[in-house]
Amino acid sequence: MRPHTFILLSLAAATTLGTLVFAQAPAASTPAGPTGTRTGRASGVRPPSAPTPRWPDGHPMLSAGPGKTGFWNSGTGGLTGKNGMNLPTNLEIGEVPFQPWAKALYEARRADQQKNDPHARCVPPGGPRQFHTPYGLQLYELPEAKRVLVLSGGGPRTWRVIYMDGRPHPTSDDFIPTFLGHSVGKWEGETLVVDSVGFNEQFWFARAGYPHTESLHLIERISRPDYNTLKYEATIDDPKAYTKSWTGGHYIYWVPDEDFEEYFCQDNNRDPSHLVGQ
Amino acid sequence: MRMRFRAVAALILLSPLSSYVLVAQEGHPLRGTWHGSWGVNAAERTPVTLVMDWDGANITGIMNPGARSSPLEKTSLDPAAMWQFHFEANYKDRTGGTARVMVDAKIQDVTSPHRALVGTWTQGEKKGDFKAVRDN
Repeated sequence: MRPHTFILLSLAAATTLGTLVFAQAPAASTPAGPTGTRTGRASGVRPPSAPTPRWPDGHPMLSAGPGKTGFWNSGTGGLTGKNGMNLPTNLEIGEVPFQPWAKALYEARRADQQKNDPHARCVPPGGPRQFHTPYGLQLYELPEAKRVLVLSGGGPRTWRVIYMDGRPHPTSDDFIPTFLGHSVGKWEGETLVVDSVGFNEQFWFARAGYPHTESLHLIERISRPDYNTLKYEATIDDPKAYTKSWTGGHYIYWVPDEDFEEYFCQDNNRDPSHLVGQ
Repeated sequence: MRMRFRAVAALILLSPLSSYVLVAQEGHPLRGTWHGSWGVNAAERTPVTLVMDWDGANITGIMNPGARSSPLEKTSLDPAAMWQFHFEANYKDRTGGTARVMVDAKIQDVTSPHRALVGTWTQGEKKGDFKAVRDN
């Protein structure tokens, strides 16, 4: 092969590979610390972040704000391990207080490369999984309605309501467990604290495949330490699957001046047939 | 016209069911309803239904819900031994008689919505194979 032919073929291969990579992760960012000096998706260096945007009463605004556009680049991060976008306070997987059956089931899911992950069949991402589902995330606070809406750009485009009006959870006799459960929230200083119960057992609450039961009780703590950074942390309280509660989380970075594209898992979903072992 | 109405009505009635079966129970692998049979050979089968739950410490449940149901007793699950499951019960037959039943089975393909319990069924002097598949 002539040298220039080799170079042309190499360039073509590199271009094709790059296109494929960016087609699957249109807004990928590189994990780093929560400060403004981390590397970013296109330039390699993220500019120093602006301060946290705020509502007139001073509490943090979790969305783009009036006249601006942007979304949270969900899709990376998890609840265990300290690498990448994950919080430095996360447990390692060996430290998670699984009950024996839950540990064995988690390991079985890992061993078969998560071929039966319900999310691959467009099952909604309840709990923390909504915060690490690819293709973007929006958190819109509606003060007049006393609600926060969590909108997923990926998966089956799930949206969740967090009631901020002080209502209690319904009693267990009053509702049927669901994929997203029932969420109530309040601001504690700089942090939105969300308490959720009422989950069914038909989904995985995190991509890693940690099991849960209908007794799952979630406490999520969401804050925006600067304009470009969302800090997400969840405490998993499920005595039927874990011997004690445990906490994990990750950062999510802001993608400015863009909105997420329309994406529906159900639209031409070919994933199940491509999964290993199917 | 009437047939079309009936077809549409049937679709409306069945649509929640069809969407329901697309999802599976992903919690404790024994929880839920299982259908299967046991028998001493392929020709002589006795249908079995199990309904089980997990309370955080114990597996509870009943065999053959209805007038002849029996509670599951001495249940145990050993995930480390390839999901070995054991239970005993007092089986009630159609004549009103009862027989002590002991079942030892393993959960096959535990991550699958179509996982199965496969093992042995001992009922009095008889011993046969047993298989039940979890309903979605």
